[in-house]
Amino acid sequence: MDGSFRKIDIDQYDEDVLLESELYEPDSRDPAQVLSDAKQKAATVRQSLARGDTAGALAAVLDGAPYGPNVEEAKNLNLQTVVSILNSTKATEILNIVRVLSPDAQDTLMKYLYKGMALPGWGDVSGSVLLGWHEKLTEAAGTGCIVRAMTDRRLV
Amino acid sequence: MILLEPHNYIIQTTLAEKAAKPGYVDVQFVDFDGVRFKLSTPDKKSATNILLSMNIRCWSELVKYGVNEVLRREYGGLVLAQPELDYDVSLEINLEQLPPEGEQRDAQIKSIALLKRNALAAPFERAFKEQKQLEASGGSQGELTALHYRDEEVIYVQASPDRVTVIFSTTFREETDRIFGKVFLQEFVDARRLPTIQSAPQVLYTTREPPLEIRHVPGLVDSEDVGYVTFVLFPRHFANADIASATISHIQLFRDYLHYHIKCSKAYMHSRMRYRVSEFQKVLNRAKTEVAVVDRKTASGRSMMR
Amino acid sequence: MSNTLRPYLAAVRSTLTAALTLEDFASQVVERHNKPEVEVGQSKEVLLNPLTISRNENERVLIEPSINSIRLSIKIKQADEIERVLCHKFTRFMMQRAESFIVLRRKPVKGYDISFLITNNHTDTMLKHKIVDFIIQFMEEVDKEISEMKLSLNARARVVAESYLTTIRTHCLIPRFAVHLMNNELHGETWYGAG
Repeated sequence: MDGSFRKIDIDQYDEDVLLESELYEPDSRDPAQVLSDAKQKAATVRQSLARGDTAGALAAVLDGAPYGPNVEEAKNLNLQTVVSILNSTKATEILNIVRVLSPDAQDTLMKYLYKGMALPGWGDVSGSVLLGWHEKLTEAAGTGCIVRAMTDRRLV
Repeated sequence: MILLEPHNYIIQTTLAEKAAKPGYVDVQFVDFDGVRFKLSTPDKKSATNILLSMNIRCWSELVKYGVNEVLRREYGGLVLAQPELDYDVSLEINLEQLPPEGEQRDAQIKSIALLKRNALAAPFERAFKEQKQLEASGGSQGELTALHYRDEEVIYVQASPDRVTVIFSTTFREETDRIFGKVFLQEFVDARRLPTIQSAPQVLYTTREPPLEIRHVPGLVDSEDVGYVTFVLFPRHFANADIASATISHIQLFRDYLHYHIKCSKAYMHSRMRYRVSEFQKVLNRAKTEVAVVDRKTASGRSMMR
Repeated sequence: MSNTLRPYLAAVRSTLTAALTLEDFASQVVERHNKPEVEVGQSKEVLLNPLTISRNENERVLIEPSINSIRLSIKIKQADEIERVLCHKFTRFMMQRAESFIVLRRKPVKGYDISFLITNNHTDTMLKHKIVDFIIQFMEEVDKEISEMKLSLNARARVVAESYLTTIRTHCLIPRFAVHLMNNELHGETWYGAG
């Protein structure tokens, strides 16, 4: 007797089954559009950094950060941009910069910090820099910010 | 106790006790390296006649290297021509012939307790003699003598015109032992840098790779767990009989000494961990909330039971 | 304390505090089951994003939150062979006593050295901030303990080698300092006597 039917995952035919895509609103933009946006933002950030406007650069890159499937390239590019801002900031300025960010931007920054720490040695990610930012951001935005980073399904 | 003693404590105490108060005895016991001893009174009628027998793994090799001569020199007529069944050598000790109580008797009992040490000394004494001959005659290399003193471990002794090389092969059964052993052996190598012990024998060690002297020996085990320790003894380490015998006593206990201290370290680590873990336990217990026991009463005033 | 250890522990503390918001939650898949969702892993909607806090590649903490339980895994620094074996011995020693450590997991998550599993039952019966204190103190002391054990191993090895070689040289003269050191070390109790 053929027993292969036992191996079929019947849950996938369940009407009530929860799909990955139902957990959060997908990005309305087209993947190609997202990528070009990210590239454009990287350029703006470089300009802002050259002017010494770290807070503006950070706000710009955190706004409309790419999330969801199919945009790996844009995600990596954006992470790199964020990391370059973080690395070039003086430790004494961090607290003032995170204070002026909007709550949404703070949450997004927290997501990037955790993502960076999950990839030690990736690009020029440095554990001590991220830990410094994490400490200041928690001080400014509180534990709630961490909880939102933990619960938001829109992974950066 | 840092250093191990070369004599056997059981032989020493039992003989001393029986010499003071003769009586029937029949004990079997073991020493390092799986050496077995039996101490007995073969004839129940005469309690003053005690037989001490020893079984040692590498007896046939020791015979080749002249153990019989060494034992005859040390114990004279005590050595039986025909050893007890299952044993390699037997000494017959007549308690009535021991010197009267005092230092002399203690010395003789101690010398009997050194039976294992004296038997294992044979190849070393031979090598020391050979070195003298080679030095005088200008020969090249003495014969490589191998002593399979444990199942997987061997002592090699080789005389050269200017030195005697002693090589131990030792097996570390466990990963931890191997790593701890490495730390210890490295310290043996480094310790010679201290000015106070610069005159000590040179120590070299390798793991896996056998030293040049024994590389041609067939049947060497090729494994990460095997370590080779080489002691280079110069003539000053056996310049006269006293120094030579002390050197032999220490050298042959090297393997036991090393492993004894590895085990001691592990025991110490264990006691530390026990302490640290109990400290963690206390920290965690502080997190527990106290459950308040409230005596609930029913309307009629009795305690409510569930 | 080195300058990156403090922010590292601070980050673990704040993340753990944030993650320890647990509630009772019965399984949606199997009736009458109430299991740590992070271990069961069958309902996506109750699992939250796992967060990693890392000091460098060799020292990191993974926190996997879910609705009724969190799993915290620690990778302990191991610079060389000795530290590796000491760390292995120490974590194994603890995990064999997981019964009395309630929140300790018997096996570490793959890629980590030791894991803790904290469920809503634990947060109900224990004080949350004290559980966090325990984890942080553990992280602080495990590094210290391992390096101290390594130092004591080296110290013992030195004394052992020196006294052996000294006796071969001069025969039966043990340096006094060596005896003193060994006596302290061989009896672990006296080592802690002062503390």
